[in-house]
Amino acid sequence: MRRATAFDVMRFFLGLTVILLFVLAQPQQTPARAGPHGAAVQEKSASSKPEAKPSDYAGAEACKTCHEDEYKSWENSPHWKTTLNTKEGPSHQGCEACHGAAASHVADPSDTSKLFLFEKASAKDINQRCLVCHASGTQHMQAINSLHAKNDVSCTSCHSPHHAKQAEFLLVKSQPELCYSCHLQQKAQFAMPFHHRVNEGLLQCSDCHNPHGTAGPHQLRTSAAQDAVCYKCHADKQGPFVFEHEVVKVEGCESCHNPHGSPNPHLMKLSNVNLLCLQCHTTSFANAPGAPSFHNQAAQFQACTLCHTQIHGSNFDKDFFK
Amino acid sequence: MRIRIQESALGWTALVVTLFFACPVRAQQAQQAPPQTQQADSSSSDEGMKSGDYNVRQSIEFGYRDSSIDGNINNYDTFENLGSGFRLFDYTLDMRSLDNKGFFFDSLSFSNFGYGGDPNDVTRLRIEKNKWYDFRAMFRRDKNFWNYNLLTNPLNPSSSVPALSITSSPHSMDLVRRMQDYDLTLLPESRLRFRLGYSRTVNEGPGFTTLDSGTEPLLAENFRYTTNAYRLGVDYRFLPKTTISFDELLSYFKQDSTVADQNFPFVLSNGTPADLGIIFNTKGNTPCASPVTNATTTPPTANGNCNGFLSYSRVGRPRGSFPTERLGFQSSYFKNLEMSGSFGYSSDSNSTLDFNEVANSWTSRTAGRGGTVAGPANAKRVSINADWAGDYRVTDRLHIVDEFRYDNWRIPSMWATANTNLFATPPAAPGQAGLLLPIAQVNPANFATVCPVAPYNGPNCPQHVSGSLPDVLNELVSRFLGQNLKTNTIEVQYEITPRIDAHIGYVYTDRTISDFSATFDTGEIYFPGGATGNAGNDFLAARGDCALVAGALPAACTMNPDGSILEGSRTAPAPEVGNDTSRNLTDIHENALLFGALARPTDTFRIGADFMFGYNDNSFTRISPRQIQSYKVHATYTPKQWATIVGAIDIHENRDNVLTVNNLEHGRTYSFDTTLAPSSRLWVDFGYSYMDISIQTDICFAEPGSTVFTTPCPVAGATGPLGALSFYTNTDHFAYGHMMWKPVKRVTAALGYSGTIARGNTLFLNALQPTGPLDFNYLKPSASLTIDVYRGLSYKTAWNYYGYNDHGVANPIGLAPLPLQDFNGNNITFSVRYLF
Repeated sequence: MRRATAFDVMRFFLGLTVILLFVLAQPQQTPARAGPHGAAVQEKSASSKPEAKPSDYAGAEACKTCHEDEYKSWENSPHWKTTLNTKEGPSHQGCEACHGAAASHVADPSDTSKLFLFEKASAKDINQRCLVCHASGTQHMQAINSLHAKNDVSCTSCHSPHHAKQAEFLLVKSQPELCYSCHLQQKAQFAMPFHHRVNEGLLQCSDCHNPHGTAGPHQLRTSAAQDAVCYKCHADKQGPFVFEHEVVKVEGCESCHNPHGSPNPHLMKLSNVNLLCLQCHTTSFANAPGAPSFHNQAAQFQACTLCHTQIHGSNFDKDFFK
Repeated sequence: MRIRIQESALGWTALVVTLFFACPVRAQQAQQAPPQTQQADSSSSDEGMKSGDYNVRQSIEFGYRDSSIDGNINNYDTFENLGSGFRLFDYTLDMRSLDNKGFFFDSLSFSNFGYGGDPNDVTRLRIEKNKWYDFRAMFRRDKNFWNYNLLTNPLNPSSSVPALSITSSPHSMDLVRRMQDYDLTLLPESRLRFRLGYSRTVNEGPGFTTLDSGTEPLLAENFRYTTNAYRLGVDYRFLPKTTISFDELLSYFKQDSTVADQNFPFVLSNGTPADLGIIFNTKGNTPCASPVTNATTTPPTANGNCNGFLSYSRVGRPRGSFPTERLGFQSSYFKNLEMSGSFGYSSDSNSTLDFNEVANSWTSRTAGRGGTVAGPANAKRVSINADWAGDYRVTDRLHIVDEFRYDNWRIPSMWATANTNLFATPPAAPGQAGLLLPIAQVNPANFATVCPVAPYNGPNCPQHVSGSLPDVLNELVSRFLGQNLKTNTIEVQYEITPRIDAHIGYVYTDRTISDFSATFDTGEIYFPGGATGNAGNDFLAARGDCALVAGALPAACTMNPDGSILEGSRTAPAPEVGNDTSRNLTDIHENALLFGALARPTDTFRIGADFMFGYNDNSFTRISPRQIQSYKVHATYTPKQWATIVGAIDIHENRDNVLTVNNLEHGRTYSFDTTLAPSSRLWVDFGYSYMDISIQTDICFAEPGSTVFTTPCPVAGATGPLGALSFYTNTDHFAYGHMMWKPVKRVTAALGYSGTIARGNTLFLNALQPTGPLDFNYLKPSASLTIDVYRGLSYKTAWNYYGYNDHGVANPIGLAPLPLQDFNGNNITFSVRYLF
């Protein structure tokens, strides 16, 4: 009998987890008067608010009376379109679609018991609140995998429905400054002499990363075939090639390059290309043949890519000469 | 390549004056401008104007930039490439339907920058009609001039005669990349939603490349890579809080490139232009010991017996198709469970049917006098992948999150190559050699006629040496590379208190990588002929794969009546010597422990930490880690609403420290940033990052005659006889500070500074290698002033300074001197901004 491998154990636990989740999970009840796709339920679980009735809603015009600035900014934003959602009732419309039923608050401004107060809510609750409507969007399909969410970064950390500095996506700052607010290391990397043109505005962080989560590491986007996102622009490196430089496909571009920026040309990890190559091609180790003995490093052979010009892969030369 | 005109322009006097009339320029220094000035605030007081049923807001900023650069212009263009001229710095148009019932659209947003000659031009357009459609378009143009001469530089010695200094990168390029993306979503808010998309990316331009063939000719390349991608998708919310998506993605790639030798700095004695390549190391016999026979002629007369080229051309048009189907879902239908997942299948293909290479050259090592290469190539990539993620909320405070990913791809490929290697005839006159020799016009059909009798050294016979390549080479190359990856992450997230969260998890990854390589000779012909030929070596026909073994031809080789030797045929392909026909499997099992915590001790302070400890039982390359450690700490302190202090520590350690590899890597970054905005009139931002990178690995290499490296390579069977510990250390200090100040209502002043100071060390195997990017200062101060002249009209001026100063050894003793890497420059911009 075959001995169980670690993968078999992993599969067993995975299967167990899936079954357990299905057994324990209960269909989400969608009450007749739920909020947007069940907002009232979310509201309850997220902030322990009592479920709202239609009579608990006051309408956006009532909010405008006191919160005119907020109303005006909202009126100019994409969220205004919630008022067009007449089919699903007042809980889907206007200010109350996000902030919850406001009738009691209108009657008594000090009563915020049925409101969802973003400034006091946790990141998880805020995310859950926004995803009630936005979860099905193509950018948010993998929100479960969001590293931002896991690190307590809420939707409103980056988006501001009322005070956006950038109209598109209602961002609190434009990219890349928004991302640099936390990712200080990347700011330093993009300031290197060799860098992707992010500071210049040609590229945005979100071209390569999906800030809302992806299935892969670093929230990186991928090509349609789940290949590296790099190939969208660097299509000539994509192949598939007859002669693949195996490490490119197996370990990825980051084996040799620092993708954000580097002091070294071509964003390389090392300053001298021969050392970069010799790290692997030093002995006939596994998948990388050793550099030939006539490659005198004191001569032109130190410039490996002078000859191996098609180092990412070639269709016509096993040594990547052409 | 491009010649840049250096403008001395206004000089320092003008600079001092313009400092007082400076302003931020968005396209140029987005990172240095305070956020208040970068983008129109959607809630700004600018209300726009009413036009019909729309509120319309526009802004335009245009002006002139004067660029004055001293020093290494190629480096400036590689790093910055901002030149002089009139520019459209910014144009935006926003239209919004007043009642959200516009006829064609309810909102339109259109923005542009960079037009008029800047290297990066971007246009974005979004048009939306509530409930009906959402259309987004983007055009981006990137002019990527690249000419940094320390990479792929052969580092010719000054002792060579002649000494040739390579002052430009042999792989310089003037690439223009145009990227277009169009996305249309129909019925964006309905249960059934359709998505259409199209993207087109074109990379084109001239560039230079090189070729290994005895010497390294500098080849001019005209390339154009085009990708057209079509997307068709549908989303259907078929259950409450559950959406499924299907996408059909079709991507097509085509590459049209021609490569030719257009660089002939020498002539032969018969007046024929010749290229001896860019490597001049005459003591090392490259391109030969005495390349120039007469330096007084114009151009100099080359030694015909040198490695060199008289002509070279290469064309090839690879075509790729990448069809992909993808099915995904997202659901929070169950009360306590959120899920998402996807499944995709892709069958990619890349074919080249018309590859053709023709060389008229001389390679002394093989006595080759040129050749041709052709043959169809085809590679496929079949990819199947799936992922699933579930977040089960056990209680409001306890979550279990599981993520599984499966990725299986394989690349089978084949190349049916048809090569002809050409050889010279015997000298027709005394002293005739190398490039001056005529090419023997023989082929399998005429060989018996053209070169009929032993010793096959008649006037038209090909002249081989023992190391000559086959005259005709037909091969079938078959390769395979594939990977099967499965990874699962399970994590428990617990809210200990409302102010403290913690998570712990485990990642397991199983990878199997498979590769295979085999070559079969389907017709390899060795013609006889050559000065050292004799009956004992079948007049040099018995060479290469068909070299005699114990006085007899190898089994796969047969002698033809015309004296040539044939190896393999289409019907009986002969496996190439050294074929690796076994399927090599590399199994890697990766395990990692994750844990972290988040704390919010007060409303103004937040600190989070994430740690990972991983162990892999195998590695694919010598620098693939077996041990991984990652430590991330991030803290934010907001003592006042207008003050934010952020600090971050990011430490990553990789190790493959097994015997004879000894690979250790670390990247450690410590950063902080402070932003102060006490009033709308004052904004200050400053910060600092310290990066420490270190990489070391045992390497083996060849360096005959070295007195510096004498330690033998410790690994049995290594190809390089010498051993050393390769090391690379790099410390970078990145500091910046920016201030925006409005002394009076109509005046906005800004000052900024950012600088990267890099210091490092590495192992230099070649004593002629400059330190290059190991030691430099890159400083970029800036200043700007904006004056609001009239309602919506502002006059703006900005000054940006770029100073790149190499602090290392730019020209080691013995190197044919290279230009310094330094440049210093001033860009002064005068512009007008109008809001209407």
